[in-house]
Amino acid sequence: MAEPILEVSDLVKHYPLTQGVVFRKQVGAVRAVDGVDFRLGRGETLGIVGESGCGKSTVAKMLVNLERPTAGSIRYKGEDITRLSGRALKAVRRNIQMVFQDPYTSLNPRMTVGDIVGEPFDIHPEAAPKGDRRRKVQELLDVVGLNPEYVNRYPHQFSGGQRQRIGIARGLALRPEVIVADEPVSALDVSVQAQVINLMDRLQSEFDLSYVFIAHDLSIVRHISNRVAVMYLGRIVETGTDTEIYEHPTHPYTQALLSAVPVPDPEAREHRERIILSGDVPSPTDIPSGCRFRTRCWKAQERCAREVPALAVPAWFRTEGGPAAHDSACHFAAEKQVVPVEPHGSGPG
Amino acid sequence: MLLEVRDLHVEFRTRDGVAKAVNGVSYGVDASETLAVLGESGSGKSVTAQAVMGILDMPPGRITGGEVVFRGRDLLQLKEDERRKVRGAEMAMIFQDALSSLNPVLTVGDQLGEMFTVHRGMSRKDARAKAVELMDRVRIPAARERVKQYPHQFSGGMRQRIMIAMALALEPALIIADEPTTALDVTVQAQVMDLLADLQREYHMGLILITHDLGVVADVADRIAVMYAGRIVESAPVHDIYKAPAHPYTRGLLESIPRLDLKGRELYAIKGLPPNLTQIPPGCAFHPRCPLARDVCRTDEPPLYEVSATRGSACHFWRECLDG
Repeated sequence: MAEPILEVSDLVKHYPLTQGVVFRKQVGAVRAVDGVDFRLGRGETLGIVGESGCGKSTVAKMLVNLERPTAGSIRYKGEDITRLSGRALKAVRRNIQMVFQDPYTSLNPRMTVGDIVGEPFDIHPEAAPKGDRRRKVQELLDVVGLNPEYVNRYPHQFSGGQRQRIGIARGLALRPEVIVADEPVSALDVSVQAQVINLMDRLQSEFDLSYVFIAHDLSIVRHISNRVAVMYLGRIVETGTDTEIYEHPTHPYTQALLSAVPVPDPEAREHRERIILSGDVPSPTDIPSGCRFRTRCWKAQERCAREVPALAVPAWFRTEGGPAAHDSACHFAAEKQVVPVEPHGSGPG
Repeated sequence: MLLEVRDLHVEFRTRDGVAKAVNGVSYGVDASETLAVLGESGSGKSVTAQAVMGILDMPPGRITGGEVVFRGRDLLQLKEDERRKVRGAEMAMIFQDALSSLNPVLTVGDQLGEMFTVHRGMSRKDARAKAVELMDRVRIPAARERVKQYPHQFSGGMRQRIMIAMALALEPALIIADEPTTALDVTVQAQVMDLLADLQREYHMGLILITHDLGVVADVADRIAVMYAGRIVESAPVHDIYKAPAHPYTRGLLESIPRLDLKGRELYAIKGLPPNLTQIPPGCAFHPRCPLARDVCRTDEPPLYEVSATRGSACHFWRECLDG
């Protein structure tokens, strides 16, 4: 892996549940993120996938310091940013920017596009001298494929895809090194999604960006990521390169998740094995003992209730190496191919 | 044919003028058949379904032409009280957002039971028993206890099951499902689609599945109708369309989605945006975004050309598109 730009270790975020007004006491906690480790290399894209409530968005917020972690550390170029404050924090924030999911609510409707994209310069005036801002903003609009003449328009005059481009331009304004994108295309129409993904691809090579790309759509994550982390109930259950995760998954949850994704190929529906999980995700206030996936797992045994499986390369894969030898938090990790491997090239065209 | 929509036109009056949401849509669905209506937001796929169900907001909506022939009668000619007897009993609808489609202050048992007290004149007690039976059928665990609970006490997937149970209650011949799994997580989506397919087999229902997800379509549909700017641009059996699309819009959609089983380089992106429905481009509505567009596309609106006995494409150059 390339030199790490972000190193997250044992990151935890618990939200206390309290009872009473005068004598407030804590009666429990929502364990939204419960011990997450990962590294992001320079110029790399790490995809984080998981279903709603798995904690992926909370991780994103902690990365950009919108939430303070309960425990653990986030090292940016070796420095733990969770303990910074004041000027030092502000300086770091410049380098880690966020792109939000909903392009309708993440842009202030009463500000013009020029003001929105230029706002980061008000907070960090050192990034652009006053007289130079309008030109900088227009340059940014051009970079994301919007007409630079649009600086005086308001967000409602744009379509969803264009608004997401505005959000990306704002994220790029300070020339950050890391962009955390939380579901950046899931609110967009199919034909517009591809435009925005291609834009993010292009910007990455142009500005040497590192992405943390958070999404629930596994196909999009595979397309854009070099490495993928699968989250379940506040923890990473499996992580590896895109080929390792998609073609050689070893964790039962990853296998179920992948097998549930509809593939746009009607020929595949007859000979595809579907793993239909029973039940719902348990509540993050009441996490099962041992392996947190065991309540829905078809492989679960007594040991799974007792011992928390560590996220590591399973011993039985370690000697032989190969694509199955990647981190998987399962006592009974075993390879199982669930994504059909296409023999006949790339669909239509 | 169980249901046949013929040349349906729907308009909306808006401040910016008349929005032509549906412009001559025709499709049909048979018993036991699944028709997928595929389109992006604003393509008219949901408005067509609302007109078929008779739940279109009028005004501002207005049906300006066409027929909806269901079991031999044109529903658009029926009086509202006759229409109401068809709705729920003979055809039912499942919506995307189960939480806002259910009444938050009534228990799910009361809401399911209402179908039987209103349509079948059952007693409350019998209706309650029926509600439990239905919840069992859509595989909600502990139905006897949960029948007394309120919608907010159920998870998203379970709420969608309740919507399905409600749609199934009177054993309708046709179900229209408008993005039934879009709000759900993938593993739950698989559970719900699985259930819907099983129930369809069991009751031989016709199913119209409205969606924007090409993956879901490939998994369950028999036929597809692709909509763009209020018209059907391509209609075909599901296998044909994925093998070789006969309309440049369908081709663009298929090439623009990232695939789980393939890691490509750059995604194909359809340029531009879907049109504003108050100003639909003349000729073929897709021409400003189309790679095959020529002069004739800017002036002449393409009819739905017959590609084969079972396929149609509204593109002047469908042959070219089919050949790649």
